[in-house]
Order: sequence, then C-alpha cells, then structure tokens
Amino acid sequence: MSLAGADSATQPTERVAVASVEDLRVHFRSKAGTVHAVDGVSFDIADGETLGLVGETGCGKSVTARSFLRLVPMPPGIQAGGSIMFRPHRSCSACRGEGCEVCRHSGRVPEACQACSGTGCEKCEQTGQHTVDLLTLSEKQLQDIRGNRIAMIFQDPGKALNPALPIRDQVAEVFYQHRTHDLLADAGLDDAGPLLIRRATLKTRRFEDAILALPPLRARRNKLMAAVDTRIADALAETQIPNPRKVMDRYPHELSGGMRQRVMIAQALACDPDLLIADEPTTALDVTVQARILELVRELQQRHKTSVLYISHDLSLVREVCDRIAVMYAGRIVEVAATESIFDDPRHPYTQGLLAAIPAATHERGALVAIAGNVPELIDPPPACRFAGRCDYEASACRENDPTLAQVAPAHDVACFIHHPAPGEERNPSFDRPLR
Amino acid sequence: MTGAVGLGTSALVQDDDILLAVRDLKKHFPVKEGALQQVVGQVKAVDGVSFDLRRGETVGLVGESGCGKTTLGRCVSGLTDPTFGGVYFSLPTDKRRQLDELLALPAGLRTESDQANLARLEESHRVDVMKGDAWRRYRRNCQVVFQESFASLNPRQLIKDIVGRPLRVHKEASGSDLTEKVVELLEQVGLGRQHLYRYPHQFSGGQRQRISIARALALDPELVVLDEPTSALDVSVQAQILNLLHELQTERGLTYLFITHDLSVVRHMADRIVVMYVGKVAEKGPTDVIFNRPEHPYTDALLASSPEFDRSTVSMQALEGSIPDPARPPQGCRFHTRCPVATPACGWEVDDVVLWLEDVEGTFEDLHSVSRNDAFDAWLTFDDQGGAQRLAAALRTDAIPAAMQAALEEVTVDEARVRIRFAEVDEVQLTARGPNHQAACVLDRSGSRPQN
Repeated sequence: MSLAGADSATQPTERVAVASVEDLRVHFRSKAGTVHAVDGVSFDIADGETLGLVGETGCGKSVTARSFLRLVPMPPGIQAGGSIMFRPHRSCSACRGEGCEVCRHSGRVPEACQACSGTGCEKCEQTGQHTVDLLTLSEKQLQDIRGNRIAMIFQDPGKALNPALPIRDQVAEVFYQHRTHDLLADAGLDDAGPLLIRRATLKTRRFEDAILALPPLRARRNKLMAAVDTRIADALAETQIPNPRKVMDRYPHELSGGMRQRVMIAQALACDPDLLIADEPTTALDVTVQARILELVRELQQRHKTSVLYISHDLSLVREVCDRIAVMYAGRIVEVAATESIFDDPRHPYTQGLLAAIPAATHERGALVAIAGNVPELIDPPPACRFAGRCDYEASACRENDPTLAQVAPAHDVACFIHHPAPGEERNPSFDRPLR
Repeated sequence: MTGAVGLGTSALVQDDDILLAVRDLKKHFPVKEGALQQVVGQVKAVDGVSFDLRRGETVGLVGESGCGKTTLGRCVSGLTDPTFGGVYFSLPTDKRRQLDELLALPAGLRTESDQANLARLEESHRVDVMKGDAWRRYRRNCQVVFQESFASLNPRQLIKDIVGRPLRVHKEASGSDLTEKVVELLEQVGLGRQHLYRYPHQFSGGQRQRISIARALALDPELVVLDEPTSALDVSVQAQILNLLHELQTERGLTYLFITHDLSVVRHMADRIVVMYVGKVAEKGPTDVIFNRPEHPYTDALLASSPEFDRSTVSMQALEGSIPDPARPPQGCRFHTRCPVATPACGWEVDDVVLWLEDVEGTFEDLHSVSRNDAFDAWLTFDDQGGAQRLAAALRTDAIPAAMQAALEEVTVDEARVRIRFAEVDEVQLTARGPNHQAACVLDRSGSRPQN
C-alpha cells in the first residue's frame, strides 16, 4: 500500500478503484411527486479501466455521470443520499509525468492520505490514498478537481463549446484554472509580479490588461501568452488535429462535428485527468466520424492510462471500447460484468432483451424481439423489481421485493431473483418456466 | 425474379411493377451573399439520381449526413420541387419505356411530337408538374413519416385531430365516423381509444412515432417515405417500431422508401439499397449483395466504420477526412478525396492540392491568388519565389498520395507562380456490376473476385 516508495516498484500493489459510487440517490421534485431518477446506484471504476454505463433514455445514466462533478441543478434535484468516493492522483515524482515503472507508465501516482500519510486509516478506508467524497466537498475544493482530476466530454460538441469564443480561449481556460504555476514556469517567469500571476489565472480586469500591454511588462506578458499557446497547440495535436496553430484561432462553427468533438477531448485531457467521463460522445456524429473518435478515445485512454466512464445507449458501440459494462434500468444498475460476459452470458432479463432487440443479419424481418411495454414512471416507485411488468419471467416475489445486486459468477453481479433467492419467498422465477 | 429475395415481403414484388421512378433528379439550393442577395453558387444537394421503387418493396437510402438523402426524400414526397429531372409516379410499363426513350434523347434532337408526348406523360405522372386529380391522387398515395416526432406533430392538437386530419382534408370521413376511423388506425399501430383525447407531449418517443405512422396510413397510401423513423429511439423501442412497419407492409402491401444512416436497420428492413455520397448514387443493389460484395470503396468504408453487434472481433476502420462541400463537389469520382484505393483516373484536381497541403505548415501561408483555367488547371501566385518553390517541392514528396502524383501532368514554376495541371477526367458514371447491381467506381472488382 505504500506509495511511490522505493520498494513499490518491485512488489505489485493492489489496484485501488479510482472512484467508488456507493448507493447514490438523486431525486427530482416535480408536481406529480418525487422522481427517483437515480435510486441506489453503486459501482467502482478501477484505475485505468473503461467502464460502460448503458441504458435507455431516462434510465438515469447521465444524471449519475453529472453527479460526479455536481452538475445536476439543485433544486429541482435533490441529493437524497449516497457517496462518490474519489481518489485523486498527482504527477509521478520519480519520472515527472514521463512514465516509469513506479507509476506503471501513466505518469501519475495516487496521492497519499493526509491523515495517515499512506499507511491506511479510517478516513481513507485502509487504502492509504487520499480520498474525497465528491458529494460533500466544498465548492472551492471541487473546482480544483473539476476539469483537472475529473474531466467530462459532452454529447453535443456544438452545444458544449462556447460559440462566442475562439478555440484558443476555450482550451486556455483549463490551463489558467489549473496550471497557473506550470504556465509561469514554462514562460521562465518564476519571479512574476502579482499582475502577471493574475493574468495567468485569467483574473485580470480590463485596465490591468492595458497595463500589461505597456512596454515594461509587454515582453513578459507575451512570453506568458506564448507558453499558453504552446500548451494549447500540444493539447490539440494530441487529439490528431492537423495544424493546431491554425485551428486555435477558429470559432466552433468553423469546424466540422468531428473536429469539434476533438477539441472537446483535447480540452478534457489537457490536465491529464484521472477520470474521464464521456457522456454519449459520438451520438451526434456520423458513423464514419464516430469510428475515428472512438479510435481516438481508445488510443488516448491506453496512452494516458486514464480511467473512463463511457455512457452510451448503443450496446454495439460500448462493446468496442469498454472493459466492463454496467447496465442501468429505471434508476438502478441491474447487471455489471466484463464486456464479454455481458455479451456472451447476459443474466438479467432486461440485458437479454436489449441484446435481442438489436437488428442482426440473422434476424428474420419483422421478428425482432422487442421488450414489451414502456419504461415505468419513476415517481415514488413501490419496493418492487423495476423491470416487473415487462419481464417474461416475473413471479410474485418480483412484485413485492426489491432485488439488489449480488454476485452470480466471478466479477458478474446481477440484480434479479432468478439468480438469488428472494427474502421469505419459496417460489422464485426461473428461465425454464415463463410465468406469463 | 432476379436479384436477392429478402427474408420478408419481397416474394410478392414483381420486377417490372414499378410504382415510382426517379429520373436524373437534381435539387440545387442557391447560395446568396451580400445586401443584394446575389446568387454566388449552388449547393448541389441532390445531383442526378435515378432509381426505381417497385410496388411492395423496401428501398433503403443510406449515406452520411449532408449527402442529400433527406432532400431526395422530400423531392420524392413532393414537399419540394426538384431543380431538374423528375419523380414519376405510377407509370404503366409501356409508358415508362416510352419515357426512358424520350429522356435518352438529348433535348435538341427531340421532334415536336416527342415534345408533346413527353409533356403529356409529365402532366399526368411527373410529381412536380401534375395538377388536379393526378396531384390529389398522388398526395393521397404518398405519405411521409419524419424523424423528429416532436417537431412533426402539432403540440396544440389532440391525437384525434392529428390522425384524423388527412381524412378530413380528403373528405373521407367526418363526425363519429371519423372518430371510429381514427380509433381503428390507432389500434393498428398499437394504441387505442384511450389515447384519442391527449396531446403529443403526453406520449413517449416510441408512441409519438406510432402516431406519425397512424397519420401516414390514414389515407391508405401506396408509398410511405420513412425519413429516419427510428434514429431518435432506443433499441428496444426501435425493435417495436420496425416490427410494426413490417407488419403493416405485409398487411397493406406498402412500398417503403427507408431513409437512414443506420446500416444494421437498413440491412434488416430493405430489399434493395441505394448508397448516396455528396448528392450522387455511389452504389445501388440488392441488400445482401451490398453487404456481402460491395463494389464501391465508400460502401466498404461505411460497412467498416459501423460497429456491428454480431461481429466478434473488433475491426472498426475509420475513414479519413470529412464530407466535401456539396457547393463545390470534387471532380471525377466524388469520393476520391477520401478513397483509400484512389487511382490516377479518379479525377484529381487543383483543389485537392490545397486540401492535402493546407495542413502542412508553411505551404499556403503566403499564397497571393489563384487563377483557374478550369478545375484541373490553375496558376497559383505566391508573395515570393520561395513559396512557389516550396509548393513545387511539396508536390514531389509523399505529402500527397501517389495516385495524385501520377495524375499530375504539369508543375511549372515561373518565378513566384506555379502552374498545376492534372489530367482531365469525366464524371464517373454508374456501371453495371451484376443483376440489379450498379456502382460508380473506376475500379472493377468483379474480375478479381472468385464467383460463387
């Protein structure tokens, strides 16, 4: 459990989850009642893995993702409970972020717990790593994490980028916010005055900018601007944007959809985050562009060893990028397993239904297996399986008890009474005898 | 019957029974500029498309966004008038032969009687020319289901009014009779009497799409244009809608023009497929031929870039570059700018030099002006001699594709000017590749592939 110590390179350390969501509940107040949009979601994201979060529209996957950065507006949202434990990393001191044995070539090592300095205590759940609860963190502390340790890619780059700012200014914001001292060091301005430091955090007012433009300070300011430009160009080049110095001066509307998504990715990866949340990053794109963006995300993920939470409604897409998949239905996670297990051996009836609904070459026309019925209303739901009513195998147990996620095979969790007994119930449903 | 027999309805499809014929259809939108709104160019959204729709079949129209598939759908359904060419509805076989013969003649060679024959044919069958009874008959028989069910259903009308509207407009029913007919229609699409007096916002996406389908079916049409009917839906709901569409087709003998970008859906639904690229048809043929033996590299690329559920290995391949500007479509084959197997005969032009080298720093920064003789031949003037020499040097490196280098006929440096001339190439036409199978590519793969 020791961190970046001399002996940690030789003994393999256990991989600790970079983020663990525990019983997350996000509700919304509406006229008709409380909508339980996310109702008891728990999962872990291991360091360096890509976890897919799949589900239909309205199942709460985006709300879960946005809860990580507290982007759900409250009110009407209500934080009804749960925690999101996040373990931030810092740049590896042994290799200065270049990648070495100690940091497993990711350039990042976990930050040591401040209370026990890495030996393991109550506060860090015996992991020895600095652990914060994203839901109770102060706004100021969260700002240090947002865009720095956790970054997000949104669905529609046309909407998520500011149409009134050139690409340069949008990407630069990340550096001004989180990399002020690196910028000053890059520019060789270690002895910078307060005005320049303010400039490097983008907090200068207009008259201060005017002072900076005067000859005595202008040269130093220009050095700073050159350092920022280099950083931006590097970030853009990372996402394979050709001729980044030219693209920097363009506005979002001048770029194609694929390019805009690349800019978003560049912005998100600018600070080398520990966790990247991708909320349907290719839904608004064409298939040919989608393939390139997916390839890019996959390649960058492998190079930076970033953990990714990949949200999508498209199972066939998730299959191509994810190590593990969590299937969500009506505010709950119904199944979590490795990608192959989900596709080869789906255990939950909903997962099975989802997979069968995708038109494949072997399907006879008009014989697609659709899941009957609609997603239930999530207003004050009763304690029953949420899939009851659409499920072919439901029994009385499903209508009276709430199944919880339980392990049915190694690293394969399912919330269904078919696989584990319902409390006080003699007859469980089974796949052999559909009851309906 | 030739061609592929699909798994579903196509057993009933007669090869010669053509419901709708599209002939050399073009739709250009003017690009206007300045205070006087001068026309400075034309966006060629659809640029010469021909295909047939047989009675009772489903034709899939696929392509990237911006390739003109929706515009084509709008022309077919009579929502916009084409700039050139036409959509001919319900032509008997002899009249269709006559039409094809007349259209094959260049306009200058047509005699007066030819002209009169053509005018007579067009008046009763061409969608944008027909009037009176013929037009009314067409409007009844061609209906559209749009992608955005939110936008295509009036939020202030009740479902009864939305679905009953076509019946009222065409004076089919009124009063309680109308209500009963609407209930019947709703039941056909899996809704019921309880939904009559609700507004669109009270329904889910899948239900709204069902309402759109009920409205389209109200007048018992022969042809339904489906413009991405399931793109906004989840897979499980999409499966319901696709099953419904198939059921209705077998019951009523409907003909579908299915516009989509989703290849797994089109493979499931369509008997034949038309692949469009920048306003033109790249390839058309029976579904299984398009999927198993594509002839056009663009079709290959589309197939390779879609993640497929029933494929076990990960082999997604991405396509370089983005879709070209339809206001200045590439010469020759329109796909040559992105084609992985482009040849020197694919229509390389001066614009391609700019496209390839503008991302190489220091090549075009000091470009002063360009004077074109035509698309293949131009003088590029730089601010100084260095710029011209840099460009000429870049043209000899592998910064540009080998095929482009081979097509380059002349590079002359004259002080600060460079002349670039490529071999002139005509537009690539669709050529036959098999029964009912055509592709617009200079390469012919059928020879190199073992037949089976």
